[in-house]
Amino acid sequence: MALSRRTFIEKLAVVGGMSLAMAGMEALGFGFASAQAAPPTLTGRGKGTKVVVLGAGLAGMTAAYELTKAGYEVQVIEARSFAGGRCQSARKGFSHTDLIGNTQVCDFDEGLYINHGPWRIPYHHRSTLHYTKLFGVALESFVNDNDASYVYMEKGAGPLAGKAIRKGQLASDLRGYAAELMAKAAAKGGLDLPLTPNDRDKFIAYLVSQGRLSPKTLAYGPNEGRGFDIPHGAGVDPGPGKLSSPFALADVLHSDTWKALEPLGDHEQQLTMLQPVGGMDHLAKGFERHVGQLIRYDTEVQKLVQDDKGVEVFVTDKDGKTGSIKADYCICTIPLSVLRNLDIAVTAPFKAAMAGPAYAAVNKIGLQMKRRFWEEDHFIYGGHITTDIPGIGSISLPSTGWQGQKGVLLGYYAFGAEAARISAKSPADRAAFAVAAGQKVFPQYAESFETAFSFSWHLAKYNLGGWAEWSEDARATAYPVLCEPNGRLYLAGEHLSYLGGWQAGAIESAWQQIGRLHARVNAA
Amino acid sequence: MRVLFAGLMLFIAAPAFGQDAGQTQFVSTCSACHQITGKGIKGAFPALAGDPFVLGDPQALIATVLNGRGGMPAWKGELDDAQMAATITYIRSTWGNTAAPVTAAMVAAERTKTTPTTTQSLQAH
Repeated sequence: MALSRRTFIEKLAVVGGMSLAMAGMEALGFGFASAQAAPPTLTGRGKGTKVVVLGAGLAGMTAAYELTKAGYEVQVIEARSFAGGRCQSARKGFSHTDLIGNTQVCDFDEGLYINHGPWRIPYHHRSTLHYTKLFGVALESFVNDNDASYVYMEKGAGPLAGKAIRKGQLASDLRGYAAELMAKAAAKGGLDLPLTPNDRDKFIAYLVSQGRLSPKTLAYGPNEGRGFDIPHGAGVDPGPGKLSSPFALADVLHSDTWKALEPLGDHEQQLTMLQPVGGMDHLAKGFERHVGQLIRYDTEVQKLVQDDKGVEVFVTDKDGKTGSIKADYCICTIPLSVLRNLDIAVTAPFKAAMAGPAYAAVNKIGLQMKRRFWEEDHFIYGGHITTDIPGIGSISLPSTGWQGQKGVLLGYYAFGAEAARISAKSPADRAAFAVAAGQKVFPQYAESFETAFSFSWHLAKYNLGGWAEWSEDARATAYPVLCEPNGRLYLAGEHLSYLGGWQAGAIESAWQQIGRLHARVNAA
Repeated sequence: MRVLFAGLMLFIAAPAFGQDAGQTQFVSTCSACHQITGKGIKGAFPALAGDPFVLGDPQALIATVLNGRGGMPAWKGELDDAQMAATITYIRSTWGNTAAPVTAAMVAAERTKTTPTTTQSLQAH
């Protein structure tokens, strides 16, 4: 039977409630958000059905929260002594021992923290925002782009290589020169475009506007957008000030600094970006306030067996005491990097699929600075310093506590091979490495540095990586297998979404799996 | 703490400079996961000492280091042929391992079969 869009949406509303209908509207192009907006409505029977949830991260706690509301009896098993999974923030007293054996206890001043896990929430991740609102987690703006921030590229060539350049100046120059070249070519009829003379005039007008070109000569030159060498101000001195001069196009091109400019960020990086006030772990704590009583902390999963009646999970607590939990179903949110080393009763194809994704090596380091020199001396309030210094990736300045005395900045955020290398160092040497790199960009860096807290997700025992990385092959073959339940076991987490590494991926994966589990319970 | 640590680094790094490039490369590049001892970390990162894969077919080993696998990043963009050959030779001839050396030409041959790394977005998550 052919369905019109309208009847299809109406059918969704009947089956899954309005939230699914809304999601359907998004899928059919009526909206623009990629993310699912609300949890599935679990109407019908849930009462008396036992579900054991493995992992008290966002996926696990989402499942526990929603299933409990629907009457399920839920128990959550968590290896760590705290809930949140990767949703962690390090502040005074936070302790971490990595797999090499380095123990760090964070000694930032009171009120300062670093989000060494997830740190930003895109405006269209409505699933994450559903829970921040529901749990009263206060949000503030996360400055994800900043015209005043620096680009520092040392691998390029020419006079701009190895220099800290304001991103806004680069953007002005590159867009200006590109617009000038195109406008002049278009004016001469030199562009091979299907333009009528009227189209052409409009196109040139657009380029003049985009590049701040002279309407007469179509030349790019000093302009207010690029900024001043002597800022304009009061009276006659400085009065109008003095505009800055553009860099030479060839110098910008050869310096590699243009690599820091993206037309728009990727979908997930676009403005507006948000963060919880006081640390990302406030989101985890919001969940924990509601499901904390269901969580068995400090308890490691060793083994899972199942038959057509139910599942049994064998666990060990921190004193080495063993036990088991029986339930009708299991929702397992343990990262595949860890899960594939456990004794889990699943079919052979499912087991093989678990080997599918790679897990990203990811490093972060928080550096406490005794003075907010980036604000006081450089006028940079939040945002990222983009650099090609190996092992750094980006240096990010805090989007909170502006004009305070001290601040914690992100000294590096690096992935893959570069991250693996830096993580081999001791915490003290990681900090020394990060400070030396930052010193190249800010002369005040080393003298302001007080203390550091570094985290390597591939060296975190219960993570073994920052997030799942799916190759095209593995997406096509392994991923669909893992999205299906295996007997009475359902997997959930960021690894089972196309929002990999995002909290929204964890939440929406949990929503999807509990929706399917609930449908099965009600069909039984 | 700082003093103690400096001493320790000296102890680890000192033989690397005198001995060979492979060891230096291994310490800086591989040891976070596979450990200085080559014993890896059980349940997380495989041991290289006595490992049949490390001691076996050099082509498969080179391809794995070039392209990565599981939790291991791809190293093709980080190490040139000579560096990679020295590192692989090191892991095949240390901790009691006694497999044949790998040459830069062997790495170069495997590298031609790989696809170049795609550029990543500046920000991940």
